[in-house]
Amino acid sequence: MNDAYVVGAGMIDFGEHYDQSFDDLLESAYLALLDDVDHGIDPQADIDAAWYGTIDIAGEGSSGASVAHATGLFEKPITRVENACATGSDAFRNASLAVRAGAADVALVIGAEKMLDDTAGLIGSAALERLWRGRGVTMPAYFGMRATRHMDQYDTTREQIAQVSVKNHENGTKYPHAHQQFECSVKDVTESPTVSYPLNLYDCCPVTDGACAVLVANEDRAREFTDDPIRHAGFGLSSDSFQRGGDAALTNFPASRHASRAAYEMAGIAPGDVDVAEVHDCFSITELVTYEDLGFCEEGQGGQFVEEGRSALDGDTPVNPSGGLLSKGHPIGATGVAQVAEIYEQLRGEAGDVQVDDPQVGLQHNIGIGRNATGAVSCVNVLQRP
Amino acid sequence: MSGPRYHRTRAQDQRLVGFECTDCGWVAYPDERRTCKSCGAAPAEFEEVALATRGEIQTFVVQQYLPDDIETPQPVAVVDLPQVDGEGEAARVYGLLTESSLEEIDVGTEVDARFREMFADGTRPVNSFKFSVPRADKAGDGGDGE
Ligand SMILES: [Zn+2]
Repeated sequence: MNDAYVVGAGMIDFGEHYDQSFDDLLESAYLALLDDVDHGIDPQADIDAAWYGTIDIAGEGSSGASVAHATGLFEKPITRVENACATGSDAFRNASLAVRAGAADVALVIGAEKMLDDTAGLIGSAALERLWRGRGVTMPAYFGMRATRHMDQYDTTREQIAQVSVKNHENGTKYPHAHQQFECSVKDVTESPTVSYPLNLYDCCPVTDGACAVLVANEDRAREFTDDPIRHAGFGLSSDSFQRGGDAALTNFPASRHASRAAYEMAGIAPGDVDVAEVHDCFSITELVTYEDLGFCEEGQGGQFVEEGRSALDGDTPVNPSGGLLSKGHPIGATGVAQVAEIYEQLRGEAGDVQVDDPQVGLQHNIGIGRNATGAVSCVNVLQRP
Repeated sequence: MSGPRYHRTRAQDQRLVGFECTDCGWVAYPDERRTCKSCGAAPAEFEEVALATRGEIQTFVVQQYLPDDIETPQPVAVVDLPQVDGEGEAARVYGLLTESSLEEIDVGTEVDARFREMFADGTRPVNSFKFSVPRADKAGDGGDGE
């Protein structure tokens, strides 16, 4: 097996892009990537294949042909990947797998989503799909259920949950691509309108359009593109359902535990080795339980972990320096790709105002809900300075 | 809510019958197919088990934003429904709550299953179970709520 390296990244500002088509978003991310490659790239000659992450909510970007059209990369194999909210991170994982297997020397990963074109459909289908499976449960409810149980079981406080949002919004004001650039207090969070008790508006990520691209190359080719490639050291992908009966799924996401353990083992690291992480924080509670799932702290200690500032920019394990999904936004197909791009920037020391202190190992994580209720998918990628 | 979907799960939507995996004891409800979602037995053998009408809330939320045809605020819970004979594992299900307020419910609260109209499929009502805090436990309410 070859090693795979990230050798470039390009992202558009996340936000409201009513005025731009799906093609516009893909084009912009692609052009930003080409511009980012240190030693330049001849895309027609250099790129062997592409993996495209989208769940295509807008109904406009359906197949690999969308990427071919937007980039001009015709006559190349382009595969669309869809895997709930882990779509972008799984597209990256698949591109890396192809590079490792020797099926491609250089692969493009590109993710895009237009979330603002049609949001009613998401809530409607989640609520009404099936009588018993979903029971009218919406996204904030799936995640909010962990909050209720976590508070009951571990005496986690509502304020600790809100602190995740406070931290990520503060980081977001320092990150240029973030959608919502404002700071908020714990009180602002807990007094914002109730979305799904116990979660309030500021516990929820915004609805955001976005696109991002990264370039993956094998060891032989990586240094053609940059003197500072970042190694894709490990990955894991797992699924779970809380109707299987395991009580751990009432408070946490066992899929994240399985995926992260696989990624750690492959990379030959332990959770304590992670210097910076971009993790799924679609809701504040999601990040809090993810500290536990990823092994950054013991189960039940997520509230203390954030309260003690350990996940802050200057903490021992900075989490979501980009502002996370809570501040940056969550354009599903682009989300994971953007997290990979952010970790790439961090490990190269190019993260500007949100740069953490000399990181060697970075982690990217998504959790997704599927089948309108209980199915959960998690994808974890570990990046490392070679 | 499409007709075929409704018909496929009608038996379980209208009767509290679960399916216990003979390998690991996990109770499938309302889905029962030919593999076990807990231990992965394939093919799995299931035995029909009757579920109690009273269960216990494992966790819950109260939803404020839902499609127009669902009333809000809408509490929804994960409920463990034990087997009638008191043996074996409980079935773990999502349940919409009815006739219950936020102040009455918590992790560990017991609730009763009540057969209700859930949604309308065109002009046809779609019936299944919702849950509510037992009437006798409610202060100042002598009725049975039916
Ligand atoms: Zn089984």
